[in-house]
Amino acid sequence: MPVRPHKPWQSLCLFALTLAGLVWLVLRGEERLGYSWHWRQIPGYFLKVVDGQWIAGPLLQGLGVTLEIVAWSLVLAGMIGLVTALLRLSGSRVGRGLARVYLESVRNTPLLVQIFFLYFVMAPIFDIGRTATAVLALSLFEGAYASEVFRAGIESIGRGQWEAAHSLGLSRAHTYRYVILPQALRRILPPLTSQAVSLVKDSALVSTIAVYDLTMEGRAIIAETFLSFEIWFTVAAVYLVLTLGLSALAGTLERRFARGCA
Amino acid sequence: MTTIDSPERDETIIVAEHLCRTFPGPVVALDDLSVRVRRGEVLVVIGPSGSGKSTLLRCLNGLEQIDSGTIVIDGIPLDASEANRLAIRREVGMVFQSFNLFPHLCVLDNINLAQRLVRGRSRAEATRTSRELLARVGLDDKADSYPDQLSGGQQQRVAIARALALHPKVMLFDEATSALDPEMIGEVLDVMRALAEGGMTMVVVTHEMGFAREVSDRVVFMEEGRLVEEAATEDFFLRPTEERTREFLRQIR
Repeated sequence: MPVRPHKPWQSLCLFALTLAGLVWLVLRGEERLGYSWHWRQIPGYFLKVVDGQWIAGPLLQGLGVTLEIVAWSLVLAGMIGLVTALLRLSGSRVGRGLARVYLESVRNTPLLVQIFFLYFVMAPIFDIGRTATAVLALSLFEGAYASEVFRAGIESIGRGQWEAAHSLGLSRAHTYRYVILPQALRRILPPLTSQAVSLVKDSALVSTIAVYDLTMEGRAIIAETFLSFEIWFTVAAVYLVLTLGLSALAGTLERRFARGCA
Repeated sequence: MTTIDSPERDETIIVAEHLCRTFPGPVVALDDLSVRVRRGEVLVVIGPSGSGKSTLLRCLNGLEQIDSGTIVIDGIPLDASEANRLAIRREVGMVFQSFNLFPHLCVLDNINLAQRLVRGRSRAEATRTSRELLARVGLDDKADSYPDQLSGGQQQRVAIARALALHPKVMLFDEATSALDPEMIGEVLDVMRALAEGGMTMVVVTHEMGFAREVSDRVVFMEEGRLVEEAATEDFFLRPTEERTREFLRQIR
């Protein structure tokens, strides 16, 4: 592929022009809408001063809950994904079958239905709390997709690497741990990142089982104040910041990993 | 781990008998093949491509399953038991045509890895051994390089050092120079020659007839999974008994 010469001024001008056009469009639309905006109230929903003390408003609290759920789900989904992938690639017929049943049932039903199923059917039986149910639902859902990413990554590592490790007397577990997975992880970081971004966005669905995450708090505020536009724009912006932050983190990791993998 | 004690144990290190292996197709890769290797001997295996040479080598350390037959290496039978298979692999080093270095590890860690995981050596101990081996293959200045920064010949020499790191009793070379540019073949053959002179037991699949004549003690000629002729090196090249061997030697000359 021919490399195009880099012209920073040209790109910058183009970017500014596009942005100006977009702003103009939004302003025009806003005029026609005849909506009176109340942006000034919004910061108070994040932080407010009560009796000379800063306290977290509902949106910040909601963000905290979202972050907590997302963090746990990311870790769990990663573990579920890896274990499922290893089971699918294992020599055990039972293991492969189990992984297959889990994968197909999760991938072929809507997440919302899974959340309801866990919340209304499983949670009462096993006495699981709301937040835990949310984490479980998200992890099981994203774990299924993550497992396919892991499997593809593991299968992309050539047979020669297995043979070299085996010829050195490494066990299967050691081969995975020190030879195959480090190489596979590097390759699957980009698709794994988009899976993590999906998880952040899908976490909004847990508001349906009365978990007070960012989305739920936003809905509660709207019910009181009818500030639909301001709140939804704000909530969307917060999700955007979250996912962009995640992508940036993944980008840093990728660059650090960039070392020598053919 | 079970070991078989026999009077020959000290003499013969590899006893492979009546090996059969058929791949789906069906392609017969090994057809009732028997081979013995004595301690300190350099055995060269030659034959046209598809004759089962590589399969034989890969069966000897359990990378490939045999359908029937028996393999005993240094008294340890290679059977279904995972413990035996791992034990044999610790005693048998293998060098591949495509090097198969671990691309995510630097040269030093490539050689350290198995020492630490399999032999349980400390990092310092392993590093000492690795640096000695790197010096032996003439790459003491490349310890911190990554495989993709090395030429093919250098990579193959690292691969040899890596296989030697566990102090194997047998080394298997599977067309170790076939993927190399011509000017790099020499440096790898030099390392192999030095190894042979040091008394290492070696089974070498190669197309380098000059090397075979000069270094090996015995030659096995295979075709279609069968052993066609087996002789001491000089006899093999100067006085081959089989017509098929004579034809093959004429073709490659």
